[in-house]
Amino acid sequence: MKKIVKTTAAAAMIGLLALAVAGCGGGGGDKKPAAKDTLKFGMTNFDDSLEPTENYFGWSVMRYGLGECLVKFDKQMKSTPWLAENWKVSDDKLTWTFKIRDNAVYSNGNKVTGEAAKKSIERTFAKAARAKAMFEYESITSDGQNVIIKTKVPVATLPGMLGDPLFIIIDTSVTDRDYAKQGPICTGPYMVKSYSKEKTSMEANPHYWDGAVPFKNLELNAINDTNTRAMALQSGEIDAAVNIASGDLQLFQDKKKFYISEIASLRDVLARTNLREGKPLSDLRVRQALVSSLDRETYAKVLLKGTFIAGGPYLPPSVDYGFDEIKKLDQNQYNVERAKKLLEEAGWKDTNGDGILDKDGQNLELDFVYYSGRAELPLYAEATQADAAKVGFKINLKNVDYNVIDGMGQRGEYDLMISNILTLQAGDPEVFINQYVRSNIDGSNPQNGSGYSNPKFDALGDELIKEFDPAKRRALVIEMEKIILEDIPNFVFGYPQTNMVSNLSITGAEIQPCDYYWITKDIKPAGAK
Amino acid sequence: MSKKQVLARIGQIILVLLGISFITFALIMLAPGDPVRQMIAGNQDIMVTQAEIDALRHELGLDKPFIFQYLSWLGNTLQGDLGFSYMRKKPVFDVLMDHLPATLILAVASSVFMMVFAVPLGIFSAVHRNGPVDYFIRGLTFIGVSVPNFWMGLMLLWIFGLKLGILPIVGGRVSFDTLILPMTTLGVVMASKYTRQVRATVLEELSQDYVVGARARGMSESHILWREVLPNAMLPLITLFGLSLGSLLGGASVVEMVFSWPGLGLTAVQSITYRDFQLVQGIVLWIALMYMVINLVVDLSYNYLDPRLRKVGK
Repeated sequence: MKKIVKTTAAAAMIGLLALAVAGCGGGGGDKKPAAKDTLKFGMTNFDDSLEPTENYFGWSVMRYGLGECLVKFDKQMKSTPWLAENWKVSDDKLTWTFKIRDNAVYSNGNKVTGEAAKKSIERTFAKAARAKAMFEYESITSDGQNVIIKTKVPVATLPGMLGDPLFIIIDTSVTDRDYAKQGPICTGPYMVKSYSKEKTSMEANPHYWDGAVPFKNLELNAINDTNTRAMALQSGEIDAAVNIASGDLQLFQDKKKFYISEIASLRDVLARTNLREGKPLSDLRVRQALVSSLDRETYAKVLLKGTFIAGGPYLPPSVDYGFDEIKKLDQNQYNVERAKKLLEEAGWKDTNGDGILDKDGQNLELDFVYYSGRAELPLYAEATQADAAKVGFKINLKNVDYNVIDGMGQRGEYDLMISNILTLQAGDPEVFINQYVRSNIDGSNPQNGSGYSNPKFDALGDELIKEFDPAKRRALVIEMEKIILEDIPNFVFGYPQTNMVSNLSITGAEIQPCDYYWITKDIKPAGAK
Repeated sequence: MSKKQVLARIGQIILVLLGISFITFALIMLAPGDPVRQMIAGNQDIMVTQAEIDALRHELGLDKPFIFQYLSWLGNTLQGDLGFSYMRKKPVFDVLMDHLPATLILAVASSVFMMVFAVPLGIFSAVHRNGPVDYFIRGLTFIGVSVPNFWMGLMLLWIFGLKLGILPIVGGRVSFDTLILPMTTLGVVMASKYTRQVRATVLEELSQDYVVGARARGMSESHILWREVLPNAMLPLITLFGLSLGSLLGGASVVEMVFSWPGLGLTAVQSITYRDFQLVQGIVLWIALMYMVINLVVDLSYNYLDPRLRKVGK
C-alpha cells in the first residue's frame, strides 16, 4: 500500500511542478514595460469587423484612430471642422457645401478631394440603410475640394450627421482590401497591421495630414471584464484604458502613477412618468412631490460612489444646453417637507395609519419598471422605493427584461419607468428631446405612451426642425428643457460619468463626452512635445 | 453495442437536433421584445428608428411567417449553409471556425489538468480514508467546488499576473502562457468535483467481494488497486467526464470573459443578447451535437471497457 501512496503522491507532485515550471516560463515576455514607441490600450470590444458601413462597426474604426469624418464634435458636442475645413448652406437650406482641407491625404498617400469624399458618402448610402434614416439626398456633386450635398428637405443637423462614424471618409479607389479584416484606407493617425476582435495591431500613418504621429505602433486589447482591465493597467501591461469600473477607480488615485480623465457622458438615467387619466402621477403636484422626495445628490455621491452627477435638466452637463441656468430653476430638488405639503394639497392623506397615503379609497401606489442590465438602475429603483416611502408613496418595483421596456413604454404599462439612454444623436438633441415628450396625436409619436401633451412644447419642436441657426436652436432646446422641468413628463435621476485612466508613461489620454474618440494624435509618450 | 444500435442512435441524434433547432428558433422569435430592434441595438440603449427596424426586418426575411422562416433556415442548413451572422457580418460557419480552436484547446487542456490531479488525489484519498490527508484533500476539493469560476479566475490573475508578474493579464490570443490561468481555473473546479467522485467510486469498489477474494488469494494491494479496482471505478466516471467535456466544448463564457479567451462561450452569450438568431442556431446545434456525439462515444467505449456489455451487444 505504501508503494501506491508514494506513486500517487509522486504523480500529483509532478503535475504541480509541471504547472509551476510552465507558469514561470510562460509569461515573462508580456511583462516588459511598454516600449516608448508603442502605445498599449485596453478597452471593451464586441465588434468583429472594420467595415464602417455595417452595424455600428464604424465606431471602432474611429475609436482606433483609423478613420476620420468631415466633421468632428468638440467637448460640448458642437460640430467643428475635421477633414472639412468649413461648410455653408444655401439660402433655401437645401444645398450644403463642404470644403475639404487641401492637405488632407489618405494613409496610402492619395489626396482627399471633393470627388473622393463624394464617392465615400455615396458608398455609405449604397451599403447602409441607416444612412437613409438619417437624411436623404437629392444629389451629391464635387467641385475641386468641395463636396456639395443637396438634400430633399431642409436638414438642419446635416453637418453633425456627417460626424457620425457611419460617414468615415475612405478611399473607395482601393478595391483589393478585405475591409472587415484589414480596414478601409482612411485618413487617421494609425493604420491596421493586423485585426481581430480580441487584439488589433496598428502602425503610424506615414502620410498623416495633421502633424506627426506620436507612436510607431499601437496595440489595442479587448479586455471586456472590468476587473481584468483594471489589473492590466495596474500591472503596466497596458498604458491606458477606458471605462474603469467605479469600484476600481480608487486603485488609480495615486497621481504619481496614474492620471484619471473623467467627464459626464452624453447619457441620462431617465425616469418616464405616466400621466394617463386615473394614474396618480397625472396630478402635477404628485409628480412634484415624488421628485422632491428623492435625494438624487446622495444617490450620485454615495450609492454610486461619485461616478454619476445628480440629475436635474433634461440634457447632461457635458453639452452646451444651459445646464447651470436650467438647474437654478429646478423647484423640485430634495425637500421632504415640500413633498409632504404638495401631497396634502393634492388631497392625499393616510386615513388608515398604515404609512401609505390614500385618496378616495385608493393607495398612493406606483409601479416602478426597471431592468437590471445596467448596474445603477436597480440601485436607483431601490433608493426611490425607500425615499418615496418617507412621504407616503408605496413603490412596487418591477424588474423586467430590457427587451420589453420599449413596448411597455409605448403601451403605458408603468407609473415610473427608468432607463439609461443616449441624449444626442449626431451631436444634436432634437430626436431625444422629442422622443418621449412630443404629443402622440393619432399615433404620430408612439414612443410617448405617457399621455403627456403640451402644445407649447410641440410648437417649439416644430420650430426646432426648421431652425438652422445653432444659437437659435440652442435657445429653443433650452426652452423645451424648461417645459420638461416644469411639467415633469420625465425627470433625470443622474448622468453617468465616463473615464479614461492612463499611467504616466503617456500624456494626453483625455476622455471625450462623445464615445467616438479614444485614440487620438494627442496621446503621446511622456515628455514628447 | 451492435451496428444496428449505433445506427439507431445516429437516427436519434438527427431527430433531437431537429427538435432542438425548432425549439431554439421559436424561443428566439417568440421571446418578448422586437428581435430586429435588439439585433441593431444589442443592450447599448441606442435610439433606433422605425425605418432602420423595417429595413432590417425585410432584409433578413423576418417579415415572413414564422414557419416559413424556419423551413427556409432548415433547408439551407441541410445543404451545409448554417446562415449568416448579422452581428458579426460573416457566415455562421466562419464564426464557429474562428472560435472553435480556442474552445477545443481550453477544453482539452482543462480536462488533462483535471485528470492529472483528480485521479491520483481521488485514489490517494480513498486509500487513506478518514486519515488526515483524506480530510485535507476533501477540504480542498470542497473549497474548489464551492468557489465561483469568475472569482477563482480573478484571484489567479491577481496572484500570478499582478502580484507575482509571471503570467500575462491581457489575453486575447491563444498561446501557452495565456492558456495556463483559464485552464487552471476550469481545471481546479473540475478536478475538485472529480477527486470526490474518484474517491467515492474507488471506495465503493474496495468494499466489493471480489476485492476481499483477491486479498484472500494473496494478490498484492497495488495489483488489486490498479488492475482490479481502477478499471471498474473508471466506468461511471467516463459518463460524467463525457458530460463535462460536452459542456466545455460549448465554451466557458465566464472564464472566457475574465481572461479575454477568444472561445465560443462569450460569442454564444453575445449572440443571444443581440438575438442573432442564425448564430444562436449554429452554436446551439454545435453544443447539442457535441453532447450527443460524446455520449455516443462514451457508450461505445463501454463496449471495449466492460466485457459484459460486449456480450449483451452481441
